[in-house]
Amino acid sequence: MTTSFETFLLLSPEITLFLAALIAYLAAAFSGFQAGWLIAVTGLGIAISLSGSQPESGATISSGPITIDGFSFYIRLLTYTAGLMLALVQSGDYWKAAVQDNDAEERRRVTGEEAGTFLILLVGLSLVGLANDLVLLFIGLELVSIPTYILLALKRTDAAGQEASLKYFFLSLVASALFLYSVVCLYGLGGSTSLPAIGNQLQSLGCTIAPIADGSIAVGTITISMAAVLLPVTLGMAFAGAAFRMAAVPMHFYAPDVYEGTSTSNTALLSTLPKIAGVVMLSRLIALAIPPLGSLQNSGPVAETLLLQSWQVIAIIAAITMTVGNCMALLQNNLRRLFACSSIAHAGYLLVGLAALAAAAGNRRVLLGGESIEETALSLNGLGSTLFYLATYIVATIGFFGGLTYLGHRWPEWSTSSDKQPQLEEIKTVDDLNGLSSTNPVAAFCLATFLLSLMGIPPLAGFWGKLSLVTSSLSVDSGNAVFGDRKAWFIGLSVVLVLNAAIAAAYYLRLITAMYFKSTDKGVQADGGLSSGLAMIVCLIVLVSISIRPQGLFNSALQAGNTLSGTLVAETMALFTTNTSTASNTLIREEIENEIR
Amino acid sequence: MSPSFLLILIPLLPLLAALTSIIFGRRLGSRAHLPAVIGLASAAVVALALLVVTVRSRGTAETPRPIDITTTLWQWATIDNAYVPAIDSQAAVPGVAVGEDAYSARPFSISITMRLDPLTATMLMIITSIGLLVAIYSIGYMHGDPGYPRFFALVAMFVFSMSMLVAASNFLLVYIFWEAVGACSYLLIGFWFQKPEAAKAAKKAFLVNRIGDFGLAVAVFLLWLTYGTLDFHDTFSSEGTILPGILGQTRLADVGGYVSGIVGTAICLLLLLAACGKSAQLPLHVWLPDAMEGPTPASALIHAATMVTAGVYLIARCTPLYMACPGALVMVSIVGTTTALVAALIGTVQNDLKRVLAYSTISQLGYMFACLGTGTLLGFTAAIFHLLTHAFFKALLFLGAGSVMHSMGGVIDMQRFGGLRKIMPVTAVTFLIGSLALAGIAPFAGFFSKDEILASLHSKGWPDVHHSVSNQHHATIPTIPSPHSPRDTIHNVGYREITGYGQYLEGTHVPETVGIDALNQPIVWQTLFWMALVTAGLTAFYTFRAVFMTFTGPLRVPEEAGDHAHESPSVMTTPLIVLAIPATFIGFILFTTEGLAHFLAATPSFTAPSVVSTTTASVFHWDLAIQGTLAATLGIVIAAVGHLGRRSDGPQLERWLGPLRSFLENRMFIDQFYNAIIVKPIKAIAFLTALFEKYCIERSVRLIAHLPLTLGGVVRRLQSGLLQRYALASVIGVLAIIVLLAWRL
Repeated sequence: MTTSFETFLLLSPEITLFLAALIAYLAAAFSGFQAGWLIAVTGLGIAISLSGSQPESGATISSGPITIDGFSFYIRLLTYTAGLMLALVQSGDYWKAAVQDNDAEERRRVTGEEAGTFLILLVGLSLVGLANDLVLLFIGLELVSIPTYILLALKRTDAAGQEASLKYFFLSLVASALFLYSVVCLYGLGGSTSLPAIGNQLQSLGCTIAPIADGSIAVGTITISMAAVLLPVTLGMAFAGAAFRMAAVPMHFYAPDVYEGTSTSNTALLSTLPKIAGVVMLSRLIALAIPPLGSLQNSGPVAETLLLQSWQVIAIIAAITMTVGNCMALLQNNLRRLFACSSIAHAGYLLVGLAALAAAAGNRRVLLGGESIEETALSLNGLGSTLFYLATYIVATIGFFGGLTYLGHRWPEWSTSSDKQPQLEEIKTVDDLNGLSSTNPVAAFCLATFLLSLMGIPPLAGFWGKLSLVTSSLSVDSGNAVFGDRKAWFIGLSVVLVLNAAIAAAYYLRLITAMYFKSTDKGVQADGGLSSGLAMIVCLIVLVSISIRPQGLFNSALQAGNTLSGTLVAETMALFTTNTSTASNTLIREEIENEIR
Repeated sequence: MSPSFLLILIPLLPLLAALTSIIFGRRLGSRAHLPAVIGLASAAVVALALLVVTVRSRGTAETPRPIDITTTLWQWATIDNAYVPAIDSQAAVPGVAVGEDAYSARPFSISITMRLDPLTATMLMIITSIGLLVAIYSIGYMHGDPGYPRFFALVAMFVFSMSMLVAASNFLLVYIFWEAVGACSYLLIGFWFQKPEAAKAAKKAFLVNRIGDFGLAVAVFLLWLTYGTLDFHDTFSSEGTILPGILGQTRLADVGGYVSGIVGTAICLLLLLAACGKSAQLPLHVWLPDAMEGPTPASALIHAATMVTAGVYLIARCTPLYMACPGALVMVSIVGTTTALVAALIGTVQNDLKRVLAYSTISQLGYMFACLGTGTLLGFTAAIFHLLTHAFFKALLFLGAGSVMHSMGGVIDMQRFGGLRKIMPVTAVTFLIGSLALAGIAPFAGFFSKDEILASLHSKGWPDVHHSVSNQHHATIPTIPSPHSPRDTIHNVGYREITGYGQYLEGTHVPETVGIDALNQPIVWQTLFWMALVTAGLTAFYTFRAVFMTFTGPLRVPEEAGDHAHESPSVMTTPLIVLAIPATFIGFILFTTEGLAHFLAATPSFTAPSVVSTTTASVFHWDLAIQGTLAATLGIVIAAVGHLGRRSDGPQLERWLGPLRSFLENRMFIDQFYNAIIVKPIKAIAFLTALFEKYCIERSVRLIAHLPLTLGGVVRRLQSGLLQRYALASVIGVLAIIVLLAWRL
């Protein structure tokens, strides 16, 4: 567990990005190089190509404080791909140029800083996924937060923008502080900062069979009763940290205000990247209680309690979060505010899969204890579903905001007699989209597709995501549900999810109605950068590809999820995985091929 | 290039053409036809290559073998353990999944699978070649229309959907593309949506088709519940056992593989309902005549040659299902023959040239259904044979009518023009060829296919006459043996005892019967034969009535045409000439060589033991040929008496019909009948439910809808914008979680 040269080799994508960030900063400052985002895109391209291919479920490379396995690989690639799209969106956001008269020069000058800061943010996020150690995890999270403050402040310099960045700054500090508290508690429980060591300690606490200690520094003074006191605090605080990043209840308050106050491209960033961090935090926390892949070790009562408490609290929060988010969104007219609320709701959907993960993992003890395996079919694919849903959500959201950024501003009404050209108006309310299908049919089509996917309309990607979430939630236990038992809980959670999807349709459809069925006397002018239009098109292509062939991404997400969720995975039957091949007679086919030759 | 690759290319090329037209259509302007024409031309070439490959691989004429090549492009989605077969269900085919596997859970998989067999190859050839000719013709016909790019995009999209429909190897995909061709048809009927009649006709076609689609949907549900799969082909489960597809080799080889009785009959009748909707059979035929409001090339392509034959295709594809239910088979014939006769009767008094052709299409499709219902190999091949010849000569007739309409300034009422042979010689000659083929005069294409149809009906009505013949030409088609040794496990013996299929083994099979099975009597078939023969005479009559009224007599041109009525441009007449060639020769060639019959016999659906053991002979029956030709000649003579020459425009003949004429002119009041017994009551019910909805449901819904809004209002209070409050609320929330965890959980 020492840092070596290999560690740096494994971190080469992150180091590349860091160097790219330095170049962007320095080039902008000293030689006046203006294409900061070009450096960002190039750096991301190199970083993605350096990332290699996804390791098998069992294969884990740990070096120093980082670990590369199926899960962290998935997170890393998701981060960089999302980052690539976001970089395109960001570079097309001409907020200042349009709103402030003589600021074109100014805007150009800061792109280097923006791009560099953005790259640092991505490095931080990738480190969160790779972290095998609490310290690195926390540093990674801060490396996400701090660049976010800067980006929020850089992009939009009016009062609303400054207010938003300050709000985000202070509330983020509160969340970080709470999470740090939980890190301290975890250290107290596990006696180490290394995640595997903490996990080992947690699982072996109170366990009858002596664990095979693997590099853990067992602190002898911890007892089960002490753990019972520490656990709720640990979980609650850690949950607060993750909830802030995912914009889940009860840390969701900042979202509408901050999203509204910042620029469109930053909204895209805020509603996607921190969610990845939140999902990683919670899955790593739950994984502490799950024995690593291939180990036949039993978990002790403390780990069981952790799983039990996590799935219950996550399930409750998930239900509340989606309902609150969707109900708030119904009342919004400001597009970014509306999407803040919808982002809260999607955080709730994501939590459903995590709850299923924790619940299903808790089941394992019974199974391994020698009971009949056929009695309860397990669903450990909760995490896989969440990761899949996360990807589909990110594609649709970035695409949508890419489209909005591309549309940018429009001319307000002004009389042709006056010479003075008026200030451009930003597209920010639902009504501003009126009649988009006639003024810009391509953008309207793309936006509508993204909205339908977010709504979960088959056969779009969002539908497969919601389907896999519901499936994973429903397959937590087999057999008949009895009121109050776990099965009933998860059936209830699925029902809430489906009802919420129906509520969400109301406000998404409102946008589509505005675009397609209302007319406007004001034209929408696409004055945003072409690069954000490109991001929109690319997202559409990706979304449609996922829609017609969801299997590839799903298998990848499942493999990533399986890495964290333990040994029984190989036996788990999961959505999209059956290898069904045709049994036509190959004999004839071969003969025909011969004849053609 | 492998056949699979060619197979994928055929739908792909029109799809690319359609997308190109949609995206760049406006830029291309008057050259917007290029993507569609190029795409369809290459698709037609590929289809021809595929046909050649398939023909060459079918084996010799004496020992043909089933051709069944499937290509799975990808799994769309798979839901595991979706279906657990019940002990006595057909999903556990005896001998297929041995032992415990027979009842193990199966996945619900939507696989994007395409198949290649003789039936598909033939259909693809028809679709792409006629699609290409229609696209070329439309360059002239649609010239200058504001929706020029839209038209070609729709035609290409239609060819894509239709070729996917016939190439899909999964009932769900069939359903999807069944809807897709319906959508294309809707958009093309309503192509001139500014015209209220066109919009209304499109709506009518859509609504009537919904009834059929409902049948198909329910049939698909029942198939899933009965067979536990929706695939045509066999698939392997992840453990390597065979999951028998509905029309896969494994199930086909099994005598008791298909469910009969009430469930089987229900499935077949629902599929028949679906086919009736798409193929405009009684009682759902009412949409097709109105569909003539669309552009004429679209009518030729969709509402004459290809889409309307989807019903014939579906039933032919599902042959083994029907073979287990004799009652459903008879129903197919009864529906078909009745439709043929009724449509022909209505067609005799129509004055709108396109409507005559529309009723003729309905009538000819009825013929195809009639012989499909005979349940013999002869009947099935005759149906596809007639489908093929009909596609060519009916497309020819429609394009000819379009040419007339184009030159007459959009007028299509036959009473307002006449003697057009003088100004439109090419159109007149090609139209005459098409009419001879439709009327069934030797040696034109329709004669041979109609002869086979009559023969198939005759063989059911007078089975003794044909008995000796059928044995001589009996072609045995070996089916591929099931890889599992089928009949040796105790398990299956138990299964047989439960269901009674075991009697197959002893050869004392008493199938489960339902009420309509009793219709399968020689007397019924004899009636159907006579009805078909009368229809043949009527067909010749109304066809030549149209020919005489349009092309003979003194030259008369409506004022809409102006003074420049002329032959259509060569881009329109060339497809006419090209189509006239198959309309003349294809019947003779395919009949004398027996190529089509033997080729089609290698289709998996026709290799089920129940089909192979039936009449296969396609010998020439002098007695039937003479009867058919006599009927047709009689029809032509009556038409000539009424309308040839100077009398071309007069309604002399119809006058004799008296009150019957108005009955027929009003289309037997079927539309009015539907209006009275279906539309009006539904409207009444709708009115009542509207009241209920307004006063009861809407209020409660509003109440429910207010819940989220109210909740949103409450939650919004918390969004005060004050940072301190946010922080406080967050911390309180976190504390609440911790307290909850520590205290309760």
